[in-house]
Amino acid sequence: MSAWRTVAHFVAHPPPAEWRDDLARRIGRRPRRVGLWTELAMYGARCCLDAAGEDSLPPGARIRVSSQRGAWGATHAGLVQLDAGLPMPFTFMQSQPALMLAEVGRCLEWQGDASFALCRDPAQVLRLAKLGAAPDGLLFGIVEEERNGEPARTEWWRLLPA
Amino acid sequence: MSAVYLAGMGLACALGEDMPSALASLRHGGVPPVMVDVAEGFRWPVHALAKKQGDWTQRLRDLVRGVVAQTGDWGPRTAPLFVASSSLDIGFMEHEQQDLRLGGDLQDFASVVADALGWQGPVFTVSTACTSALNAVLAAADLIRADEADEALVIGAEMGNRFTVAGFGAMQLLAPDSARPFGEGRNGLVLGEAVAVLRMTSQPSRWQIAGGANVVDGRNPSGTEATAVHAMCSGALAQSGLRPGDIDLIKVQAAGSPVNDAIEAEALKQVFEPLPPLVSLKSALGHTLGASGAAELALLVGCIEGAAWPAVDYPLDASLGIALSEQVPRRLRNILLNFAGFGGGHASLVLKDTGP
Repeated sequence: MSAWRTVAHFVAHPPPAEWRDDLARRIGRRPRRVGLWTELAMYGARCCLDAAGEDSLPPGARIRVSSQRGAWGATHAGLVQLDAGLPMPFTFMQSQPALMLAEVGRCLEWQGDASFALCRDPAQVLRLAKLGAAPDGLLFGIVEEERNGEPARTEWWRLLPA
Repeated sequence: MSAVYLAGMGLACALGEDMPSALASLRHGGVPPVMVDVAEGFRWPVHALAKKQGDWTQRLRDLVRGVVAQTGDWGPRTAPLFVASSSLDIGFMEHEQQDLRLGGDLQDFASVVADALGWQGPVFTVSTACTSALNAVLAAADLIRADEADEALVIGAEMGNRFTVAGFGAMQLLAPDSARPFGEGRNGLVLGEAVAVLRMTSQPSRWQIAGGANVVDGRNPSGTEATAVHAMCSGALAQSGLRPGDIDLIKVQAAGSPVNDAIEAEALKQVFEPLPPLVSLKSALGHTLGASGAAELALLVGCIEGAAWPAVDYPLDASLGIALSEQVPRRLRNILLNFAGFGGGHASLVLKDTGP
């Protein structure tokens, strides 16, 4: 599958002030104890799928997420907690990209092939994500927390083989 | 579309820093875990790599060079490189001052690995907790099948750090002494450190990576889901063109969790009727998290080729209705390797012996 078409592209960079309320409205609940980075991913993924006009992601589709810094805030907090004694279990969980994949899948009511990868050249990650993808296509996201004056970003593409 | 084969492998783990020494340890009953202090009053057993000279980063460089050397001469190092890890460089950051931590990004760990090897090809980081290395293998296989690469190198690495041990301890997932996968009275997992390397190629060799599947199910982020076990096994079998009855051995995920081991056993019994022989490697290796997909695949192939096999030196849980194989099964054509873990990740791989 060498040709692809973009069904929807959603970008929030930065997200609007009320994005957490918007996420809760879209998925019918407020995420609890999943961390900022995962919530940003959930928000972008849900908005992108809504823009594509899809209630749920087809089972054969792939989710691929990339980020240069990942769950920076939770990782930093976990290390500070370790310095003081032991990291809290929820802080540790929030530092893991795998938790983000689980929660994104859950908020899309989906079970399937989701992975987190990065490369210095982001185009290589997208190229890799397309290889071997099924006809149900791909939901591809880039998610970054705010840091050093750079605003938070959650940008997603719903892609299908042309 | 090219087929995908395993051209070489390397392993450094608690059992030894190369395959012959790891197999020798296994034949003598393995190596017990060591106790790691994570905080005052908190210590947990870990199947740790042998202590070495040098700081954390230097030990990583030395280990990676040594393990990649086990996969033969590479010539120009321009193939895609996949570095799979759950903890990445958190062990390095533990030793940094707070204001110097996390100054870089998640690709820094893979960059250190690539620099140590003088790697010139594209470098990817894959981090999906316990399925990281398996997902790296699946991604590398996608590249080779699509004729985008003739070769690829997958490195699974989990280096020593207190953060992960403390985190798993805080989640009450660790055993206080030893892991007993599928065992009676099992009470948690024991973590392990490892650097493992898989050299993948389109050139035919004995071991073919026939297919695989990755399934994330977010309903239970710290546990195994039966429907996901079904889906990963079925997906891997379908991509391999096989049926359940074609599988001669299953390398199970079982890490010693009271609940997750039981869910996996029950799900496997539903997919495979009758169950083929099962083997567990985690009581010998520890749970090497993001490296486990590479470390357990390498050790399993090493065991088969070297006629070594992990001992089962504890009673199994009779209520599970399963057995663990205590010797290399006589017939071994198609092997299913299962992995599952944190974040609802489940992944399977079918390894085919194409030898005579």
